[in-house]
Amino acid sequence: MSTNSLTRRQFVRTSAAIGVAAATVTGLPRFAASAEKTVKVGFLAPLTGEVAGWGLPGRDGCLIWADWVNAAGGIKVGADSYKVEIVSYDDEYAPDKALLGGKKLVLEDGVKIVLMLGGDPWPGVQPFMNEQKMLCTTLLPSDLSPDTPYLLAPCEVHPIYNVTGVEWLAANHPEAKTAAIVAQQDALGLPSVATYRAAFEASGIKVVHEKFFDIATTDFAPIVTAMLATKPDIICFDTAYPDYVNLLCEQAFHQGFKGKIVSCTMDNYPQIIEKTSKEFMEGVIFQFPDFDDPALEGTGINFKNANAFFAEYNKRFPGTWTAVSWEYASILELWKAAVEKAGSVEPLAALEAMKAGGRAPHIFGDAQWWGKDLFGIDNALVGNWPVVRITDGKAKIVEYRSIPVWWDKNKDVLIKHFRDLKQMWDQRA
Amino acid sequence: MTSLIIQTVVNAFVSSSFAALMAVGLVMIFGVMRVINFAHGELYMVGAYTVWYLYGENELPFFVAVIAAIALVGVVGLLMERTLFRPMRGNPLGGLILSVGVLFILQVLAVIIGGRGLMKHIPPALEGQWDVFGIEGVSVPFQRLVVIGVAVFLLALLWLFLKRTKLGWALRATAQDPEAALLQGISINKASLLAMGLGAALAGAAGGIMAPLVRVDPAMGHAAIITAFIVIIVGGIGSLEGAVVVAVLYTFFHTFVTTFLDGTLASIFGLVLLLVVLTIKPTGLFGKGEKH
Repeated sequence: MSTNSLTRRQFVRTSAAIGVAAATVTGLPRFAASAEKTVKVGFLAPLTGEVAGWGLPGRDGCLIWADWVNAAGGIKVGADSYKVEIVSYDDEYAPDKALLGGKKLVLEDGVKIVLMLGGDPWPGVQPFMNEQKMLCTTLLPSDLSPDTPYLLAPCEVHPIYNVTGVEWLAANHPEAKTAAIVAQQDALGLPSVATYRAAFEASGIKVVHEKFFDIATTDFAPIVTAMLATKPDIICFDTAYPDYVNLLCEQAFHQGFKGKIVSCTMDNYPQIIEKTSKEFMEGVIFQFPDFDDPALEGTGINFKNANAFFAEYNKRFPGTWTAVSWEYASILELWKAAVEKAGSVEPLAALEAMKAGGRAPHIFGDAQWWGKDLFGIDNALVGNWPVVRITDGKAKIVEYRSIPVWWDKNKDVLIKHFRDLKQMWDQRA
Repeated sequence: MTSLIIQTVVNAFVSSSFAALMAVGLVMIFGVMRVINFAHGELYMVGAYTVWYLYGENELPFFVAVIAAIALVGVVGLLMERTLFRPMRGNPLGGLILSVGVLFILQVLAVIIGGRGLMKHIPPALEGQWDVFGIEGVSVPFQRLVVIGVAVFLLALLWLFLKRTKLGWALRATAQDPEAALLQGISINKASLLAMGLGAALAGAAGGIMAPLVRVDPAMGHAAIITAFIVIIVGGIGSLEGAVVVAVLYTFFHTFVTTFLDGTLASIFGLVLLLVVLTIKPTGLFGKGEKH
């Protein structure tokens, strides 16, 4: 055996030394990194397809929110700081895809809250989320029922807030006496039609035309033709999908409509103005403000730096701002406060902290957990909601109106129309 | 009521024009190649995206963008025939599956190129509208008139090509009886290539001219292909005349039911109509039975 050759013992010693050195070198940063904790937030909403306008912009808003929170040091939970990571999954607005995504987010990614648009995908994922006791949120409280104890609607009380727009219109334009409503026939359109029916009835406005259209509709000309044939003072696009509202407005313009337009949303309205005219869109009433509105920087608004958020959003995702761009982020704001209060990121602890005392800081002011009469469970956060009007080509908040006050006066009318369209929680099953 | 009926007729003519362009392209491809091209709706989508990119984003003249859409989609069609459908000739199921694959690839490409989210913004190329014969409450935007004009022009051109040129005769002969056509010295390869190129180009034209009027997004082909399938099945698969006539009949039916009854009912009645026709005349209104 040569003296230069490596003995078995030398080989073991050398290997051990290299191993220890390598473990020390590579292990140090790993040890250092473990001091920084991460909490994952699941985002399960449509990122493609017809409803993507109410999913993808919300995810983008969450990314900005997470970057801001992380830059400020993360979420303080006891002695720890947690960085936030948004994990998204495209549910394509389909129940089966939602279930796949829900399982991935909860079981593989270990998220602590799942933000959803809700609607048609929710029934697909509900049993799994219940089984997991996972804190979920929806923008559509019509998903709520006594069987959804872990589902909250902490931002949007869709479609109930639509009553505020109609109420404002009736108060400011008493000459408008008739309305025509169109909507797609789905979990977004149906409860919204029930709400608009109730809102118009409560305001003394007669509905002269009400039709649902197929989700696969490509040409909206005949739908608008039929609508305008009844010569309504107001046309109402209900909670039609963003692109449908765009095409409906264009048709109404081309077919010579001169009256008032009411809609739940008016996403990307600058493009609609470009296709129609500033004069045609003047006075359109809807429910979702641009976040550069000075009325959002006032006291009582529970969203930090709304104007800066809008500027940052438009810088990073130009031309994509929609009704939901801020909504999921506002839910995260509420959740962050709850997590910090609970001293835990665990879903049930956060849920309990969010609902503690029956009230919570909703984005548009202090609000109450509500909904038993309509949804069978008090899991919807309800308070004020803004009425937004297009004035000189720009959306502006004209007033905040109270949903609970309207409800106290008109709850029977709303429940009647919810029952007529089989939208009460005990009918939806 | 009169103005409502006239407005509905005008609306129906626009829908007919679009449906006819789509259906005739699909019929040509099936007639000559015996391939059910499920990606036809996505070819329509590529046409619309081309107009969005060239006209909406880069401000080229609208009609230049439409011509580019026709050319680009025609080339995509040629590539599909040469690389996918030709090796699968005689295997209709294989061709169908490949077309479904193309459907997904084109949709994903659209997402990669155009992103996700709201529909693409394509302003109308022509402002204003025609108040039809001065009748109050009846108007049609010039942009929608373009759809009728381009569709009539292209279909007339196609008719002349098929009836008056040797290549057109060759196509018709191949569609009627491929073996007999082959015996007459007609190249099935060339006929297939031509049919696919022309059929795809018509879908591209439909997408291009409809782009400022419809929701342009990666999934826009779904609704278009459903209408086209109903039209060609009711018209008789392989019948160009059937495709045009039924495109007009079906869209008039659909538009009138939507206007006077309900949009959802219109779609249901459309499918019922399809079932009734297939029950009474399985070959479709203008179709002929297969020779065995």
